[in-house]
Parts: sequence; C-alpha cells; structure tokens
Amino acid sequence: MKALQELASKLLSDGTVKVVIGYEQGPRGVRPAFITDPAQTSKLIFDRRCTQNLATYLNPRRKHIAALGKAGVVVKGCDARAVAGLIREQQITRDSVVIIAVRCGGVLEDPTSTAELTAETTSPRCGHCQVREPKLHDHLLGELPPAPPVNPRRTEQIAALEKMSAAERMQYWNAQLERCVRCHACREACPMCFCVECRAERALPQWVDPSPTARANRAWTMMRVMHQAGRCVDCMECERACPSNIPLGLLARYIADSVEQRYGYKATDDPGVPAPLGVFRTDDGEEFIR
Amino acid sequence: MNLYQPHLMRICEITDETVDTRTLKLEFRDPAVAESFKFSAGQFGEYSVFGEGESTFCIASPSTRKGYIECSFKAVGKVTQALRRLAVGDTVGFRGPYGNHFPLDLMKGKNILFIAGGIGLAPVRSVIWTVLDQRDQFADVTIVYGARSVGDLVYKRELEEWTRRSDVKLVTTVDPGGETPEWKGMVARVPTAVEQTVTSVENTYAVICGPPIMIKFTLPVLLKLGFPEERIYTTLENRMKCGLGKCGRCNIGATYVCKDGPVFTAAQIRQMPQEF
Amino acid sequence: MTNRFLTHENLSKLVADLVAANTRVIAPVPAHNDPQKIDYATIQKLEDASFGTQLPRRSAKEFFLPTTEVLLRYRDGKNGFEVEEVPTTAKPQVLLGASPCDVAAMEIVDKVMNWDYRDELWFGRREATTIVSLLCSKMDDTCFCTAVGLGPDAVRGSDAMLMPIDGGYFVRVVTEKGEALFKNYGTAQLSDAMYAQARKSGEEAHKKVETNMPAIPADFAAALARNFDHPLWKTMALRCHGCGACASVCPTCHCFDIVDEHDDAQHGVRRRNWDSCQTQRFTVHGSGHNPRASQTERFRQRVEHKFSIYPSRFGEILCTGCGRCSRTCPGGMNLAEVVGEFRTLAVSAQEGSAQ
Repeated sequence: MKALQELASKLLSDGTVKVVIGYEQGPRGVRPAFITDPAQTSKLIFDRRCTQNLATYLNPRRKHIAALGKAGVVVKGCDARAVAGLIREQQITRDSVVIIAVRCGGVLEDPTSTAELTAETTSPRCGHCQVREPKLHDHLLGELPPAPPVNPRRTEQIAALEKMSAAERMQYWNAQLERCVRCHACREACPMCFCVECRAERALPQWVDPSPTARANRAWTMMRVMHQAGRCVDCMECERACPSNIPLGLLARYIADSVEQRYGYKATDDPGVPAPLGVFRTDDGEEFIR
Repeated sequence: MNLYQPHLMRICEITDETVDTRTLKLEFRDPAVAESFKFSAGQFGEYSVFGEGESTFCIASPSTRKGYIECSFKAVGKVTQALRRLAVGDTVGFRGPYGNHFPLDLMKGKNILFIAGGIGLAPVRSVIWTVLDQRDQFADVTIVYGARSVGDLVYKRELEEWTRRSDVKLVTTVDPGGETPEWKGMVARVPTAVEQTVTSVENTYAVICGPPIMIKFTLPVLLKLGFPEERIYTTLENRMKCGLGKCGRCNIGATYVCKDGPVFTAAQIRQMPQEF
Repeated sequence: MTNRFLTHENLSKLVADLVAANTRVIAPVPAHNDPQKIDYATIQKLEDASFGTQLPRRSAKEFFLPTTEVLLRYRDGKNGFEVEEVPTTAKPQVLLGASPCDVAAMEIVDKVMNWDYRDELWFGRREATTIVSLLCSKMDDTCFCTAVGLGPDAVRGSDAMLMPIDGGYFVRVVTEKGEALFKNYGTAQLSDAMYAQARKSGEEAHKKVETNMPAIPADFAAALARNFDHPLWKTMALRCHGCGACASVCPTCHCFDIVDEHDDAQHGVRRRNWDSCQTQRFTVHGSGHNPRASQTERFRQRVEHKFSIYPSRFGEILCTGCGRCSRTCPGGMNLAEVVGEFRTLAVSAQEGSAQ
C-alpha cells in the first residue's frame, strides 16, 4: 500500500501523469479514486475490496476524465486484460497510460463488504484466475498473496444451464430478463463497451427496440454478449452493475469458454496477441458454416 | 383520449423550400377539431409519423388562419426522414399547441423588427403573418432575413409577396459567396445586415430566430443599437419528448423550454445557467 | 379516521378476500432470481410476502409508471392511419407493506404529473390503488429519509400504515381509502398500551435515521442553484458511469422517453419508457449538439433537479432519502456525500458573507 502511495506521489510530482486512477475508502466501502494532487495519494489503498475494474475510466469517450490529462491506472490482472483490450482495439495507445499493476490474491464480490475471502464471498471469477501477477505493466507492486478461494457458484450455474433443454434455457433467461429495465448499466460499466454510438442507440436503422419488453431485452442482452465474444475480460462488472441482479456474468463466462474451445484463445493482458474475431487464420474451424 | 394521444392530420400540400427544407400543410381530419383548434404564434407541437416517432417543430403558420397548420423541417433524423417520405393525403399525428407564445399584445401599436436566418424564419413567419393579418394594429414592420446562399432561402414566394407590400420593409441577404449573378438583395451576414438596416430602436421590439451562431453575433449588434434586453424576443430549442413538462428532458436549470418557453427575452436567457 | 388493530390472521384474511375479489395485492417478496433480495410483486396470500426484512431493490413506482407503457396503438387503415386509445382507468389494486420512502414518492411525483396537463395514465393507477405502508425497521446508515422531511414512520402518501406491535399490527388509518380497506377487519378497540407501543416504535425508528444526516435546510435549493458552475461538480462526477442504474431504482425519478414500435407493417404502438438524465443521449439534439456534453453536466443535472429545480417549481424535494442510488451505484457514487459537500459550501459561504 505504501509502495503504491509513494509511487503515485512520485508520478504526479514529476509530471509523468496528471491523474492516478486507483481505489480509496468511500462512505460505503471501496470506490474509485481520481488523485491529481501528490499530497492526496495517502488515500490510495489496495486490498481484497478493490473489486471494480478501473480500465473503464480510460475509455476516450469519457471526455471529462480524458481532460484531466495522462493517467496512471491501478490494475489487477483482470483489469490489465481490459487495458490490453483497449490498446489492441486502438482506443488508447500503450504510451498514453501508465499501468500500475498490483499482484492480486482475489477480491470480494461486493466492494462494500469487509468480510474475509471465502468460497462464498470471493468473486466467482477469481478461482480460476491465471493473471494474478499481471504481465502488462509499467510498475508491478505487492507481494503475491496465496491463491484465492474458489467460488463454485458460476461453474455450478453453467453446469445446470447446460443440462437444460434449449426450451428450458430460454425460459430461464426470459425469467431473468423480465427485470431488465434497459438502463444499460451493464454496458456503461464494461471496459470493452467503448463504442461512441452503441448499436442499440442507433435510430437509423433501428436494430433493437429501446423499450424494456421481453423481445427487446432478449435482443439487447444477446447482442451485447455476442459483441463481447473474444473481447470480454471476465471482470463481471456487468453483473455487479445490474440493478436487477441479472446474472450477466454467466453469459460472459460462457461466451469466453466457447471462444476458447473454438479458437484456443483466452483473454490475455498481452495487447500484441490479436483477438480471435479480429483476425482470420486459414486453419479456423468452419463447422458452423453449413 | 389521453394527453399523449395526437390529433390525426392529413397532408394537403407539400412545398420544397430548398433542397433540404420542406413545408407540410396539415388539415385536421376531425372537422370538429378543425373548427375549434386555436394556438398563438410561437407555440410548437409534436408531429409524428406512426411507426417512426415524434419530432418537435414550431407551428409555422399564423394563428389568424383556421383549419390548418404548417410546419417546416429538415430531414436530419429518423422521424424527419420518414416525414419526408410522406405524400399528399398521408396521415401525420400532431400534439399541441404547447409552450408559450410571442406577446403580440405587448407589441400592439409598436414597431417590430423581425430577424431570421435560414430555417429560423419558420417560427418568425408565424408571427409575421399573424401581424400582417392585423396590420393596422402595429406600427412599422421591418424584416431582415438571411441565409448562407440564395438556394437556402425559405418561403421564397412569401419573400416576394412581402417585397411587393408597401407596409413592410423587407431586407434579404445572403452570406458573401452565396449570391448568384441575378441576386438583387444584400450580400452580408445577418448581423451586418441588421446593423446596416436599423436606424432607430425607439418603440421597437425585436423578434429573432436562427442558428445559434447567428444569434450569438446578432445579439451584440442589437444591444449596441440600443435595444434593451427585455425587448428582444427569441426562441430556444432543446431536445423534447413529451412537450408538456413531464419527461424531464428540456430544462435549462429551473427553466423548462416546453413550459416557460420556447419564447424568451434576451434578459431571461442571460439569467439562465449557460447550459445550451 | 379510526385506527385499528389486526392480528396476523386478520391481515391474512384481508389479503385472501382481496385476492378472491380479483383485486391485485402487491407486497415485498423474496426476488425470484435472488432470494437474498426483495422485490415488490403480486402475492396470492399473505404468506408469500416478506415484511420488514430489507428494502426492496426497486421502488414501487413501477406500479404507477411502468417500465414500459403503451400510450396508443396505431393501425394503417384504408383511410390512413387510425389510433386506438388505451384505457386510463386501472383495475383496483392494493400495495401492501411498502416502505414509507417508496410511498411518499408518489405524492411528490403527483405534482409534476399534474402540472397544467393531467397525466391520466399515472392518475388512473393512483386512483385505483390503496397504499398501505409498513413502519420501517430495517434502516441502515445510507438512509436519510428524515433529512428530507420524511421518516421510517412517515405516513405521507399512505392510506394506512401497518405498525408491528405485540400480537399483530397497529393500523394507523390515514385516509378514507385506508378506512374503507380495513373497516371489517380486526378491531377498533385499541388499548393505551397498543398506542404507546406503536408510538414508541415509530419514534425509535425515526431517531435512528436522524443520526445519519441533519435536516436539509430550506435555503439549500437556492444554494445549489447559486453553485451551478462550482468546480466540485467536475470532481464528483469522475467516477460516475452515466449508466442510470440510480434512476431506475429511485422512487422519485420519473423521466421518460417516447418511442414508436412496429408490430408489423400495419400495426404498432407508441410507448413511454423509463429513461435517465444520466445517459449520454438524453439531451442530444438532432444536429448532434449536446448541451450536457460530459458526465459532469449530467451528474449535476440529477442533483440539481432533485434538490433545487423541483423544489423551486413544486415546493418539494424530489428525493425520499431511501439511499438506493448509493447502494446500487457500481461506481461508488454517494448522494448523501454530494449533498453534504454542497451544504458545507453553502454554510461557509454564508459565514464568509456574514463576516
């Protein structure tokens, strides 16, 4: 923690960055911090409550943040994958951001909790994490903590869904999506949803009804997930953001697994590795073309 | 009939003012509504193409003429493009009239200086004809109207009519570079045309509508000429949906453009938070 | 109005009778997709309900302003388009066991829904609904209902309030609608002890929330308007995603969108949908110009609307202090903190000018 605060202070004082985007204690738990004054870097913390993916704030569409100037951003492995994604898809350049990576031992699913990390409290994405020591960084801080407990919830849910018939699965998702109000919090919280004009907002032509009806909620959710294929970093911010607690992380995980099975690709924090749907290889499987 | 349900209108005439600006003349399909419908110059409505949506325009026809209304628009989005695909005889929805209006009662017996740019002539035209239909109630009427080029001038037939009238002084102008060899009007931007046309502001009200940039540069001219801010009237636009104060979209600070406007004085606008 | 006492069995019978008479009964229940959470939903019997466990994750506004609502149906007939009206009267329903913060919101929003033009769709549902609140006992330190002139014991907007006491509920009857609902149930014979217990639990609940935030002063609306251009808005808006999740769970946020939708080439509907000033496209003009071009302006709008604009137009704060926005925000925004910061500003400005 001290190393993080001192590094942030130095980066701000010597003008390397104009803002450090990290985590701080807020009124209700850990929340993002935007530190522009070296004297305020003592606010920066890093612990198991640092759930949020801060890479979302690097999106150039967020002009009020971009206006602050060059940013340093505190990332865990999953977040570093998002930064890599933004670089890979040319939303930011590598040298436009200072990446302060922290070795991670897993995070709580709820950043307002103070519980210890257990199988129940840990975010389901942490159990199988392979980027606890991010490779994409300008600075790498912290000791590598022990591996986090495995929260089996998502694996169990996916297994249960796979056992269902297609009709039963449709019923499950219809029931879940009944509570969708089309606030698009899932999109706004997602680091990879950076489109200046989302396809769902386009009026000419209109691809998806904007109304929270059953047919439009299905169309919206499925469209967003499909657009994440090969791009999603499994940070589960979509699920955390959803005010109706729709288990969007299931779809995120499922599509990531499907992409891995088809193309041998896992989300990576190496921006040099191209995403599978952005590149064509002659040995790409084509069994779905009939 | 709930408050969001529109009147059904039939398109009885289509006029292409310019390559991109079209005027629709709309009749009420319900004769009872045709008979009873009233509005005041400056008010607006929500015009809809069923299946595409609603769009906000002023009522461009004068309040003195009954049974029909007119609107002028450019096809810039989903609904306006759909409006442009309609033909004479097709149905359009209309909700209104909404908003406040130009206070013509205040202007009776006084001079009025109308200034408009481009399609901004649409709301001003409503006031002009309302005034001309009661010509003896007002003193001098001066109109300064400009556009980027001759091709961008709207309501060309009416410009000719106003030119021929002896009780109206009309000055038309196009931006430098926008004139044609046949052009007989001024060649100057609207602010300059205003400066060169207006000799006295005594007992005069100014009514001005046009693109924000034109207003930005014309307002200082009017103030320099001596108009007090309370005698300069203009309209503000903002994105609207309900048009009647409930959807929470069109406010500038505590001012709702659909309820407190769209007609405002320059004095009122200066008091608003500058979130335009 | 005559207060009453109902046992749980009495209340159970009331619900059963309502359901048998085809009156919809809405109450807090365990959420179907997450039993740890509570939603307002239709119940068939009192036992389906989960009273007093936690605040439902959404407000009750969707029963008056649905997430999506048909305004009219259109049809392309042989004489051109025809429009079919939708009914503006609603079937009778009872909202039972709602939180006082959710209930008070309806009366507050009534003001804008009746501003010169009466929204028949909203009022049709309002008139058809009997609202029974439940004394709140599950407040946490994010609540601030007392600061906006309400409280866990506030009966604003209620036709009656259920106050749990020994053996059942003290029913504080507020309106004639409430009186009509409870008339034939339980007893009107109330002992002093019953009154005392109800009063005490109300007062205790109120005191608990009061410690969270002092009452918002009457001049706060003007102070916020004066500070429209304060740089603090920029700092506070940085972590805001502009997602509008806050507006969706909020009892008083009512901004909406109007859109047309085809069912097929000849038929379709015009709908009103929930919308939020926090989204990027809320105020964008057809020309592409956006008067609220960044999250700073959009975040400012939400707070100004709730604590300055609505009060100046309608004399009401457009917030009931339920705290849901702060609990649901994925970016860690906190409305109480924002209000607190601007109050400090306003106070120090006053002190500065007094010197």
